[in-house]
Amino acid sequence: MGRRLLAAHAVLVYAFLYAPVAVVVAYAFNGGRQTLNWEGFSTKWFSAALRDDSITSALRNSLLIAAGNAAVACLLGTLLALSLPGMWRSLRVPIDALVTMTLVTPEIVFGIAALVFFTEIGLTLGLKTILVAHVVFNASVVALVVRARFVGLGHDFEEASYDLGAGPLSTFRQVTLPRLAPAILAGGLLAFTFSFDDFYTSFFVSGAGTTTLPLYVFSSLRFGVSPIVNATAAMVLALTIGAIVLAYIVLRRSGGRAGGVFPGVR
Amino acid sequence: MSTPGGRRGHGGPRYPAWLALPALGWYAAFFLAPLGFVAAYSFAELSGFVGVDFAWNLENYRYLWDPVYRDIFVRTLGLASFGTAATLLAGFPFAYWLARYSRRRTLLLLLVIVPFWTSFLIRAYAWLIILDPSFPLFRALDVDLLYTTTAIYIGVVYNYLPLMVLPLYAALERIDWSLVEAAQDLGDGPLRAFRRVTLPLALPGVVAGSLLVFIPLTGEYLIPAILGGNKTAYTGTLIAQEFSEAHDWPLGSAIAMVVIGSMTVVLVAFSRIAARGEVANG
Amino acid sequence: MNEHEIEDVPGGRRTDRKGFVAGAVATVAAIGLGRFGAVDALAASEADAGELFYYNWADYVNPKTYPAFTKATGIKVKKDYYVSNEALLAKLKGGARGYDLIVPTGYMVSILSQEKLLQPIQWSKLPAVKANINPKFRHLPFDRNDRFSVAKDWGTTGYMYRTDLVKERPKTWREFVNLTKGKYSGKVTVLDGIPEVIGSMLVMLGYSYNTDNASQLDKAKQELIALKPHLRAITSTEYKQMLIAGKIVMALGWNGDGLAVAAKKPAAYVIPREGGEFWVDSYAIPVGAKNPDAAHKWINYVYGARNNAVETAYTYYGSPVRPALLRGVLAKSILGNPAIFPSATVLAKLQANQITARGTALRNRIWTEFKNA
Repeated sequence: MGRRLLAAHAVLVYAFLYAPVAVVVAYAFNGGRQTLNWEGFSTKWFSAALRDDSITSALRNSLLIAAGNAAVACLLGTLLALSLPGMWRSLRVPIDALVTMTLVTPEIVFGIAALVFFTEIGLTLGLKTILVAHVVFNASVVALVVRARFVGLGHDFEEASYDLGAGPLSTFRQVTLPRLAPAILAGGLLAFTFSFDDFYTSFFVSGAGTTTLPLYVFSSLRFGVSPIVNATAAMVLALTIGAIVLAYIVLRRSGGRAGGVFPGVR
Repeated sequence: MSTPGGRRGHGGPRYPAWLALPALGWYAAFFLAPLGFVAAYSFAELSGFVGVDFAWNLENYRYLWDPVYRDIFVRTLGLASFGTAATLLAGFPFAYWLARYSRRRTLLLLLVIVPFWTSFLIRAYAWLIILDPSFPLFRALDVDLLYTTTAIYIGVVYNYLPLMVLPLYAALERIDWSLVEAAQDLGDGPLRAFRRVTLPLALPGVVAGSLLVFIPLTGEYLIPAILGGNKTAYTGTLIAQEFSEAHDWPLGSAIAMVVIGSMTVVLVAFSRIAARGEVANG
Repeated sequence: MNEHEIEDVPGGRRTDRKGFVAGAVATVAAIGLGRFGAVDALAASEADAGELFYYNWADYVNPKTYPAFTKATGIKVKKDYYVSNEALLAKLKGGARGYDLIVPTGYMVSILSQEKLLQPIQWSKLPAVKANINPKFRHLPFDRNDRFSVAKDWGTTGYMYRTDLVKERPKTWREFVNLTKGKYSGKVTVLDGIPEVIGSMLVMLGYSYNTDNASQLDKAKQELIALKPHLRAITSTEYKQMLIAGKIVMALGWNGDGLAVAAKKPAAYVIPREGGEFWVDSYAIPVGAKNPDAAHKWINYVYGARNNAVETAYTYYGSPVRPALLRGVLAKSILGNPAIFPSATVLAKLQANQITARGTALRNRIWTEFKNA
């Protein structure tokens, strides 16, 4: 009985989470310009969005930044995650605190701090500054995800590898890395997501002309909800659902327990 | 010294500590240094329209010790507390169900994250459509929530719910449910078993989720701007105003420092709670 | 170890996954890191090929003018928008470089030039401007030597209302405030603009729009705080749509927007009897512009009488081109509209923004208290 209630609650939560998404997708097909008046089914806004330079360049900027940021964050975060468990406690605790701080600091505070910093040292704002700022919290995300997985792995295989005479580097490459790979991938996916959807930090350190998709949406939505923006959102949604489904299939196919993408998920 | 396979750390072979240096260097340069600049600016003063004069005094802080600003901080704390409580209340049963009773968890978890892939801004504006009096939902209820504080609260819960659910799920997922069942077999009612077994084990998740919701909420700016009609003042609104309109960077920095200060207090308090929970669990 | 785990040994079927992951990471790294050189090169080449980066108020250019300009000059126009002069200043002061053309209001031209954020205009590249500009719009108080700016258009800040939804015919600020607090509570917006909103209250109380006087500003603040609970939103960009849709009935805003609403629904724009703001928006070229030549070409293009008429007919803001030249190309309904081209007597009542730094700081504080109310 309790189980039924909980399940019903879960359905409500999903409904709550998806209501705006449904609205966005539905109104992307609205033929009329005024969002609140339904004027017939139409796909014209999708083609309009694809033809609009501001949208495609914003999308391209967002993708570039998110991908670059994910790559750097995966590198930094994985290295950090590897080093932490074996570290002396007196080092590990402050570093943990620092990592937590990067994740938890309100983004507006971090955004203005980055702005002040880049302005003071005279760096031109643009793609690079956005990417650099995003890596700060995304490296922590990757570190957390990878570390959780790393700590949960037994090290029997590594021991076996040394017993067989392999050095630390090749052990890492052939034993540890593949087993960490799902977590690194998951962390990278999260890092990509957070960067792609980021607003505050991007808002303050974007400079002139590096409009990311959220920034474009922000400046265009100041005039009220607009069908072309809805269409853009619907397309991005479809694209990313497609990407995730693809990744899921590939991972499932490439062997064994595919559930390892999310550490702890069976 | 630090050869893997030598001394065993508490999980995996011991990797050298210097592997942390790239990340630490990045944090130092692009996180700590910027915050340091903000701290320095908070002791400066605005000169002219946009100039900064490093007077090295506490003027800005004195300025902020004013009923108006205290009002704003209190209102922000109220928003953060409400958001944390509401997401906890709604998120805990949901995470519990996910962790204990659901199947196909990867899929269900992904479904929680997928909305993040439509820009959060667009989803906030979608709420403008849903809350609009002429939209069917609220027209039936004959209630105009648009641009009210209620609208802001709905938006906050909406936006932060996944941040609460994910850590809660991570903690609940680790629980060995046979322990709970054992407690019930031994005579505890379901509620008692929950309180004595499940809750303490879930505590780290509650703490993590609360942190991830409460602290960022103290800097929230967009949701009041979009769903609240841009007419309510929270700390985030203030900071944004000082940095993108009033151009008083010193004052804005001082406000940011206050936020950082309160965030540190909260972090310390929460880590004490978490530590106590760890001790209790043995 | 059970059967299942033995399969975990690397070298077996895991090579597929390892290979995939390695490949994915490598691709992502290549895209992310390697492309930046390409991106920078791309940006540079776009500027050379002739692109104008126009940072402007929203909805301030006739959409038809962009393609027409591209056709005439071969220069493509990239756009970005700001919602207030203060936001523009913050952006430029915060290090944004790369905009070619901006449109600050008069007082912001002086601030920007003081902050050394503008580069000089080369009048030799502006023959059409020299020929067509109304002499009244040269040597304006904020740029006496015409060094950094060329007038774009001019207008006023007052309020507008739906004549079919508001039965009264208000003519003063005091009536605007009373109607908002009374009958139309919850259906009125004001601009997201600190000097405009505070200045309107000051003028209503009989003070100068530009005053520094703390007690006068304090009284304006009291009016605003009393008004606040009755406002629906504070916005500079959404009120046009909200008025057209009937979601609000009155809005504090600019004359051009009022007329744009009136073109779609019954509405009127009011320059209140107590007075208000008169402003001139000017083209300016910021420091760090990638293509100032394109900026000059744009300014010259829109000063052609016909092109300017096209603009005025869309934005409904006053044209700085000589009236004699406009007579042939601009509809009489626009040329003779007192809301777009107010008479000299009306203009005499209005003030231009000349707020000092101290006055700005005081107003920022009032704005915080206003939002807190």
